[in-house]
Amino acid sequence: MTAVIQAEGLVKYYGASRGVSGLDFEVTAGEVFGFLGPNGAGKTTTIRLMLDLIRPNAGKLELFGLDAQKESVAIRRRIGYLPGDLHLYERLTPRELLRYFAALRDLDGLGEGERLAERFELELDRPIKALSKGNRQKVGLVQAFLHHPDLLLLDEPTAGLDPLVQITFNELLREVAAEGRTVFLSSHILSEVQRLADRVAIVREGKLELVDTIEALRAQAFVRVEATFVKPPPEDAFAGLKGVRELERRGPVVLFALEGPIDPLIKALARYEVIALDSHEADLEDFFLALYRNGAGGAL
Amino acid sequence: MERAVLSSVFAKTLRERLRGFRWWCLVTLGFVAMYGSVYPSIKGKESLNKLLKDYPEALKNLVGFGGNLDIASGAGYLGSEVFSFWAPIVLLAVAISAGSAALAGEEERGTLDLLLSLPVSRTRCLLEKLAALLCEALALALVLWLLLVIVSSLDGMGVSAGHLAAAVLVALLFALDFGILALVIGAVSGRRAMAAGISATLAVAADVINALAPMASWLDKVKIVSPFYYYSHGDPLRNGVNARDTLILLTIAVVFAAVGPFLFRRRDLTSA
Repeated sequence: MTAVIQAEGLVKYYGASRGVSGLDFEVTAGEVFGFLGPNGAGKTTTIRLMLDLIRPNAGKLELFGLDAQKESVAIRRRIGYLPGDLHLYERLTPRELLRYFAALRDLDGLGEGERLAERFELELDRPIKALSKGNRQKVGLVQAFLHHPDLLLLDEPTAGLDPLVQITFNELLREVAAEGRTVFLSSHILSEVQRLADRVAIVREGKLELVDTIEALRAQAFVRVEATFVKPPPEDAFAGLKGVRELERRGPVVLFALEGPIDPLIKALARYEVIALDSHEADLEDFFLALYRNGAGGAL
Repeated sequence: MERAVLSSVFAKTLRERLRGFRWWCLVTLGFVAMYGSVYPSIKGKESLNKLLKDYPEALKNLVGFGGNLDIASGAGYLGSEVFSFWAPIVLLAVAISAGSAALAGEEERGTLDLLLSLPVSRTRCLLEKLAALLCEALALALVLWLLLVIVSSLDGMGVSAGHLAAAVLVALLFALDFGILALVIGAVSGRRAMAAGISATLAVAADVINALAPMASWLDKVKIVSPFYYYSHGDPLRNGVNARDTLILLTIAVVFAAVGPFLFRRRDLTSA
């Protein structure tokens, strides 16, 4: 497997709270790589480093085996980019914008624009300034896929898309991956990454918390137990129980992660008056929560 | 047609500027027509020049354009009414607005991120924007020149098309110096208002330094750094092209244009 993106010790100080501090990861050809983290974690910074819009303070960053800074134009020829904060040329129509971008990419006409616009049901001839948020996002997506790129850098791609369009988008991503092309998908929405990505990196405060396949994450998953009490139990009521970790408290509702038999927890719960008890396999959402609760995520 | 219009950064930038450019052409037409219609009533009235003789030197310098203040002659009239004030201002306005919009405008609107995610190098992007700025300013200068040639011959001003061209050329270069400066400041800062503000302030300062130069000996020494001095002192309406002045103004433009890509390539772009 060849590395499409390779980051080693990538550092970018950027403003007070944003930036990345020492990222190491590798994305291989044909995978959908989820880049997951809360807003401000460094996702957009990482993508803008790949496009040479900003320059790293330290570390190595290569795309297609080329230096991200020195050979940026050659790299960008093979990349489709959807910014997280999308700003388009308001006075143009989508058709004009796509024609412009196609020309700058040395493509004839609209490239794949016409076909993609049809697929997303995007109207090409109304001025962009008259389009809704969802339609603008479609324009952003179509321009990113315009030239059949080898690598897609998508920053929060489904923001503003209605559910039906999201389905079209998901199909498109699967086709792209099936063709052996690569997707770098940044998102703060876990379910989106869980559904689309093969592997996921979780980034927080500019550092990678973990990189693993979705399957491996699921395999490690714990059981999630949510208990609702008549009144909130004492803070330390469930401390020291084997295989039980308290994830979250919302008043009388307490959320546990369970990694062993449930019996010790049941016995402990029984000491207080319980109104409701819910338990199911954890999904990434819980996983994420657990990770963040534990700071560096060492417990996982 | 539409295809050609959006085939490059250069072509797209020109298309964006076209709407405003039409207005500047109309403004230019209005001014030239106004001054052209007033001249016949002043022509040959030496008494007016006597009145001007007692003006303070600085004021004479401010309203004059090289040579002697002699508004009864065609060259003197055009110099003090057209070239000392509004012609450079109209050209400056176009050049500075195009220069500050070029990169800082796109960066502030947030479209630069998307544009530079395409296989377009920053140097190429800057140079195409610069080429559009040159074309726009050159086009307005041509319009100005044509109108002046017409008015000059209608009013019998006795200023040749060649001498008018020499004066318009230095006015164009003077405006380009500050327009390109605005483009470069915009490329470095990403801030449009800052780019326009600094360039416009410096352009006004260049005029004021040159005007006040006779008042103080230290200013008289300083005036040689003012582009306005090279714009006006050769009196091109009477003498035609002054090679040294023209070359100095051109050199300033070339130097600004040359440092632009160097500075623009090095910086982090701001995300909107």
